[in-house]
Amino acid sequence: MKKLILSVLMAFCTTMLLAQTVTVKGTVIGSEDGLPIIGAYVVEQGTQNVASTDIDGNYVITVPKLATLVVSSVGYHDRVIPVQGRQIINVSLAPETINLDEVMVVAYGTVKKGSYSGSATVVKQDAMKDAPVVSFESVLAGKAPGVQVASFSGQPGAQADISIRGFGSFNAGNAPLYVIDGVPATSGDWASGNMSTSAMSYLNPSDIESITVLKDAAAASLYGSRASNGVILITTKKGKSGKLTSTFKASAGFSYFAYDNYPLASDAQMEELHRQAWYNYGERNPSKWKSYGSLDNYTAEMVEKYYPARDYDKYIYRDWEDVLFRTGISQNYEYSVSGGGEKGKIYASVAYTDQQGVVSIDNLQRFSTTINGETNLNKFIKIGGNLQYSRQFQEGHQEGASTKDNPFFIWKVVLNPRWPYAYKEDGSLYLERWNSSYSTINPVASYNAQINDAKQNRLIIKGFVEAKFTDYLTAKTTLSTDWLYVHDRFGWLYGHPNYTAYSDQGGYMSDRHRNVNRTVSSTTLNFDKTWGDHHVAALAGWEAEEEKYHMTRIGKIDFSYAGATESIFGTNYEDGYAYSREEGLLSALGSLSYDYKAKYYLTGTFRRDGSSRLAPETRWGNFWSVSGSWRFSNEDFLEYEWLNDGKLRGSYGTSGTLPSDYFGYMSVYDFEQYGSAGASYPGNLANTDLTWEKNKNWNVAVDATIFDKYNFTVEYFEKKTTDLLLDAKVPSTTGFSTTLTNIGSMSNKGWEIAVNVDIIKDKDIDLSVGANWSTIKNKVLALSEEGEQQVNNRQIWKAGYCFYQYYTRDYLGVNKETGMPMYARGTFHEGGKPASEDVTLKNGTKIAKGETVPYDTYNYTPTTRSKANSMILDGKTALPKGYGGFNVDFRYKNLSFIMAWSYKYGNYMWDNATDDLCVDGYYWSHRNMLASEVDTWSPENPNGSIPIRIADNTEGGYYDSSRAIHKGDFLRLKNLTVSYTLPKTFTQKYSISNARVYVAGANLLTFSGLHVDPELPSDGYYNFGMPAMRTVTLGLEVSF
Amino acid sequence: MKRFIYNTAVALGVLLGASSCDGFLDRIPTDSVVSESAMATLADAEVVANGLYTDLKYYTMYGSYIPYMGDMRGDNLYPTNASGTGRTIYTLEYEPVQSTYFGMWQNYYTTIMRANTLIANIETIPVMSSADQEKKDDILGQALAIRALCHWDIARLYGYPYMKDNGASLGAVVLTEVVAPSESKLPRNTVAETYAQVEKDLTLALTKLSKSKNDGHFNYWAARMLQAKVALYKGDWQTAYTAASEVVESSPYRMVPNSEYLAYWGKQCDDESVLEFLVTNTGDIDSDGGFYTMYHNMWFEDKAAGADIIPSKAWKDLFANTPNDVRAQMIAYDDPVTGAIKSGEYWLKKFIGNKDLGYTFRRNNPRIFRITDAYLMAAEAALELAGKQDIANEYLNAVVKRADPTAADVVATLDRIQIERQKEFIGEGHRFFDVLRRGGKIVKDASLDDRDFAGNTRQEIDWNDHRVVLPISHNEIMLYPELEQNPGY
Repeated sequence: MKKLILSVLMAFCTTMLLAQTVTVKGTVIGSEDGLPIIGAYVVEQGTQNVASTDIDGNYVITVPKLATLVVSSVGYHDRVIPVQGRQIINVSLAPETINLDEVMVVAYGTVKKGSYSGSATVVKQDAMKDAPVVSFESVLAGKAPGVQVASFSGQPGAQADISIRGFGSFNAGNAPLYVIDGVPATSGDWASGNMSTSAMSYLNPSDIESITVLKDAAAASLYGSRASNGVILITTKKGKSGKLTSTFKASAGFSYFAYDNYPLASDAQMEELHRQAWYNYGERNPSKWKSYGSLDNYTAEMVEKYYPARDYDKYIYRDWEDVLFRTGISQNYEYSVSGGGEKGKIYASVAYTDQQGVVSIDNLQRFSTTINGETNLNKFIKIGGNLQYSRQFQEGHQEGASTKDNPFFIWKVVLNPRWPYAYKEDGSLYLERWNSSYSTINPVASYNAQINDAKQNRLIIKGFVEAKFTDYLTAKTTLSTDWLYVHDRFGWLYGHPNYTAYSDQGGYMSDRHRNVNRTVSSTTLNFDKTWGDHHVAALAGWEAEEEKYHMTRIGKIDFSYAGATESIFGTNYEDGYAYSREEGLLSALGSLSYDYKAKYYLTGTFRRDGSSRLAPETRWGNFWSVSGSWRFSNEDFLEYEWLNDGKLRGSYGTSGTLPSDYFGYMSVYDFEQYGSAGASYPGNLANTDLTWEKNKNWNVAVDATIFDKYNFTVEYFEKKTTDLLLDAKVPSTTGFSTTLTNIGSMSNKGWEIAVNVDIIKDKDIDLSVGANWSTIKNKVLALSEEGEQQVNNRQIWKAGYCFYQYYTRDYLGVNKETGMPMYARGTFHEGGKPASEDVTLKNGTKIAKGETVPYDTYNYTPTTRSKANSMILDGKTALPKGYGGFNVDFRYKNLSFIMAWSYKYGNYMWDNATDDLCVDGYYWSHRNMLASEVDTWSPENPNGSIPIRIADNTEGGYYDSSRAIHKGDFLRLKNLTVSYTLPKTFTQKYSISNARVYVAGANLLTFSGLHVDPELPSDGYYNFGMPAMRTVTLGLEVSF
Repeated sequence: MKRFIYNTAVALGVLLGASSCDGFLDRIPTDSVVSESAMATLADAEVVANGLYTDLKYYTMYGSYIPYMGDMRGDNLYPTNASGTGRTIYTLEYEPVQSTYFGMWQNYYTTIMRANTLIANIETIPVMSSADQEKKDDILGQALAIRALCHWDIARLYGYPYMKDNGASLGAVVLTEVVAPSESKLPRNTVAETYAQVEKDLTLALTKLSKSKNDGHFNYWAARMLQAKVALYKGDWQTAYTAASEVVESSPYRMVPNSEYLAYWGKQCDDESVLEFLVTNTGDIDSDGGFYTMYHNMWFEDKAAGADIIPSKAWKDLFANTPNDVRAQMIAYDDPVTGAIKSGEYWLKKFIGNKDLGYTFRRNNPRIFRITDAYLMAAEAALELAGKQDIANEYLNAVVKRADPTAADVVATLDRIQIERQKEFIGEGHRFFDVLRRGGKIVKDASLDDRDFAGNTRQEIDWNDHRVVLPISHNEIMLYPELEQNPGY
């Protein structure tokens, strides 16, 4: 009976409940830390009824008693909870950890990571949010396998040198394509080149949600003719569903040189080296010192002349390091708002950065703002757009080995401890020269009369409409414009020590204005449907892109007044012109993916590009890829407890690189001036057959997760690039020296291994460590002529050798008898033929003239510099054998600790400073000397590692040789961040949802055997660019 | 919804339709001109004609290297710097591989290509009047004369003196039309063949060129001087005499008087100049007339610099007994009292800069032909012809007395003319060729000089020495072995 009554009651209640509503309250927390989740959605399933949690994670929603709630928050798995009449429902959400269903941004869309068969690396915002950098590229160093990041300069705002999976081009550039929020963007350096200014530095790193690096054909070939060097997809932050959150972040950083660059000999040691130089010179030229009475007198006089003792009565001396450099101070403030609901989402930010560089004249200020949003007009249509604007002002110094303007060069090479700063008498700056080749040496005077700055404005506006026709079919059309305006100025004004360089009278000032307008329109149709075990996704679309470039330059000379800082004060024109340039690219693209039972995946992509850079007959090209993967862990016969996930994938495909010359296929006349009239002449040897550089690319990989904690990816790739654009030499009889031709070929191959281990994963404590290792082998396969070689900057391009193969005289060390430097003769001898001179093999075996040379070899017989020839130095290339990084992520309760290391090995650098600092006395006047120069050979020190020092020593170290080549191996602590999140219990009292303080350090530790900072441009050539900085940043982030 | 889809489809169709046409991909440059439209009118052709001179004026050609080949290989000038290009040229120790001045071969062919392009295309340009026709003829004549100059220069730089073997040695690759890369691997012609083409081009050019002054450009008189010079190098005394004396007697040019001589070097296309190339201040100072700074003691107004190239003792000694000679006044001396660091050094103050245009000593118009040269060529040719000793005396004395009005009359001999040439043309690139073309011997002994920077070099060079001809760049021969290298390299 009781049972019956109960049943009836139940039935009755149920009926009641169906009609009745209930007000449900509760708290949403994260399962990983038990802390409240702010802005989580609580939605009554199937309705528009929604609530979101407050800063305490609390929500209130009124729903029918039998309703079902869907609780969601970004970064967490959704939960579906039947109400069943309850009034209090507390929900714990599980975070989306490294997750097979994690969505990643790829070419023209997103995919679930588990179903992706291309090769791409995603770097998330977490990895870069606190890194003390102006440009985001540097955070990729050591994080993304296959990606090498170097810096052209340590000056604020400088462009990063990124290469993805080696080098595929001689002339068309090796920089990747940048795509921002789905739209190809303007990148590179558009300033004058007097200092490096990256167009990408407009981006505030905090506005970046994630970066995806597309590496293989399957990933990149949807970008067709521009994908050969890989693609960097940047996804900026968007509004997140939930309560409106605003975040304020401020940081201050302090920087100075990260490395003890070029340690110099002490004052006393330099004096001794000067003494040796003159003594040895006098000994060899007795006629020189006859009038001085004795060699010792002569030596003493010469040392006093060229390295005069300090004269405190006459001069003021200062520590030049203090004069030229300072602790760089940077400040960064940003404020962002993010929020959204069912109807739409919005994100906006403003940021201001001010960097005072380490060089006292280097500065950068940047203001940037972004706003983006989207809204659902109705069930079918979504519209949205974004606006990014940034304005950057950059002041800096000229790089390179110029005595005039590069303070780093002047400090290290020119300003010795005995070089006066000013005259004591009236305090005026000491402005003297050493010798004819140099202008006056006092950088302070140069700074005062030098202008070198760049203003960069960038505005990107994008709008889109997305129509969802059905669950499985959507269309999206996007229109975007990207405007970059760079105004740079360079001037040696009246009073600059070099002010007569451009004109006879005084002063030079150049203004350049560059505008780059890029408009991209794209429309895509997306299909995505699952039938039982079958899943099909397809994409079709087209894209049109137009770039318009306009440049204006005006140069004035002969300034009539010393304080002039604008060219209006220049009396005469040095130069003035304007021109524009445009290009168009039209494309159709598509992809088709199929997978079965989440086990077998197959994808094909296709793109057809037409470019205005090529002749009408050759301008259309097709690019495609096929890829597949097998998720073997989903096979029944491989169902092991320890195998959480395993996938084998492979891809093959093509991509291209466009000629860098916009009109290379056209025969054109160039114009210049003759007398007061115009002059013109044929300007190029046109090649109407010009076409893309073609890249064929395959990739195989295994991804696996085992024992719940070990994640690894092992990948191997080979890239072969053909039809490489080369300035093929043509006989002079054509009237030209070269013509651009598709003729070369090159290959790149390498391994990439990444391992990540979640050592501890607990409520209060997390520890994971990761490591990655990439190798790269590059080989030039063919140039335009058989046996042809092209020598550039001490490197040689020759079939069979690396793109960055060194080619110079081989230094063999010090002759123990004479102390003179020895170099290999360097002449080439063919194997099997009689030797035309006495030949020494590399192993020391001597072959007399006339005897048979056993194999192809260079002659290693020691000789003097002037008799030595340049030769290919086997195995010495600027390309690393391997590189990568390590990282440790540790969290204990509210404290987190992130450490990232990067390393590189097997590469050789060309240290051009050898020309200036290790010259064995070739330069005898004033110049600084490297500390290692102290071990100079002398009869008393016959084992000295440095050749004898003789003033004016033309057989000394000044000339190019392998003395300038050094092993570039290094290990560097790129980033160390310790951050502490204030307890919620504390912050919530002040209505603060989240507060965090952190300390971040960049380049804190460096291990390298080099004389100079080891982060070098990828070609290995170093010539006094500004080295990397060590930076420590303190920051605070508060969210409301 | 239907309506929306319809609208979207229409919009897409419009966009696709509008953009899919190839017009979107047809772009043309704005900083250069597509060749087909570059020479459509006579005005265009004049601009193209100007393009014949732009490369020749640079330091890589007449601005520096060609004068070096004459004066530094000869005994007039020597470098103060122990290393570098100057020393290599002075000692004739040409580097085995590429040196900067090896680019001359290529530069000549660049200009020859320009001339051939002009010659091939000018015919189609329509003319409206006889004035137009004259203009058109003149432009064609300029192209022919420039082509002749380039070919002849190649022959005297890369081939042995004509009179050594009657032009049997290898000279230029003679080109009278533009060649595509596939047809460009052409062997060298002999010096005699080269001369023949040069003579042919000049003969035709003389019928086309205007006799009016045309500053900075070839006219009839400049071509006539080139004709005289080519004939003189060949030993065709009659032609040399006829051509040179016509310039002396009938051209609108005149030797500037003694009082204007020093200032003449600062003028643009003054009466003395039959042909100058024009420098401007828009170009890079180093390449456009700037290398004249090397003769000057104030490189970038640097007292410590000193001149890079200074006159030899042998040249200065030519004036030992004629202190009134205006050319002796071009020997400048840095007195220790003036404070120059490299004091006590002599340097050549000849190229004082184009003052007419307000330039300093750095920018000078290279002098290609001066009427003084016509006098001396005519005198030399007259001596070789029977019964013209008086004329030779007259022409030589005109030059001698212009330089030094107090000088006594001299009797013309080949040696005396050679001395006068040496005095007159220092820095203009004649000396080495003047001596060798007649089988003479260059003797230079730097150890006699004030400062021996070139390193105790005593050299005797005659036309049997293989270094008399420049090597063809190794890179050029790598491209096609059909191009024969000069013997000894």
